[in-house]
Amino acid sequence: MTVRPEEEQLLDAGWVTIVWDDPVNLMSYVTHVFTTYFGYPEVKASKLMLQVHTEGKAAVSQGSREKMESDVDAMHSYGLWASLEKSS
Amino acid sequence: MKDFARKGPFIRVRLSEYEATLLESLLDQLTGLLGVDDSPPAADDPFERWQAEFSETGTLDDTDPVIERLFPAAYRDDPSASAEFRRFTQARQRQDRIDQAELVMTALRDSDGGHKPVQVRVIEVDQWLKVLTAVRLSLAVRLGIESAADADELDGLGEDDPRSYVYRVYEWIGYLSEGLLSQA
Repeated sequence: MTVRPEEEQLLDAGWVTIVWDDPVNLMSYVTHVFTTYFGYPEVKASKLMLQVHTEGKAAVSQGSREKMESDVDAMHSYGLWASLEKSS
Repeated sequence: MKDFARKGPFIRVRLSEYEATLLESLLDQLTGLLGVDDSPPAADDPFERWQAEFSETGTLDDTDPVIERLFPAAYRDDPSASAEFRRFTQARQRQDRIDQAELVMTALRDSDGGHKPVQVRVIEVDQWLKVLTAVRLSLAVRLGIESAADADELDGLGEDDPRSYVYRVYEWIGYLSEGLLSQA
């Protein structure tokens, strides 16, 4: 998506995609998104969905900034409330 | 979920004429909000698409809370990075949502306004779910649903409250999504 110099990309692997809890999206739907888009097994997808629901957010994927931007873009296309940040 | 049945590559959904008309009008409202009328014709030419992505007029009014919810900030603490992200993603997200709405409208038309079951291709079920979710999110914003407690309160409203009808529509869209998911 965003074009950056190569050396910056090398330093750039520590980003995460966060999905935030919202009162609108159905639990079954959020789980469906995690299995469909990320290819996570049902168990992992449900666990992440429950983490979003009970803790208010969950890191659902990790990688380079560019990869996380495309994951956030995909989450938005499904109507999920997502953002990316540097992993701590 | 008696209104949903899987039949080979299709999920058949039974809608009343009233429900088919309602869904059509909700999709119309959504595409109207996404500015389908004044957007340039679907750009198959990559250069035109690139130009559209860069044109200032191509960005939506993000002071509208519905737009804000459909295109949330990608960087919570960095408005300029979020704006840049929108600039790169919004034109395509918009077009995708308009295409999804058209896909659903076509299926509604093919059902003869609900007289025949609506046929949802299983391979297209995510497109349905995405656009139904966008409709549901926009209704939620209009209803002011920001927490589970807000939804509970709306659930308890009497029939005479004007929000009670919109809330039932919101719930019905959720029912449609659940039904499709149950057969996908």
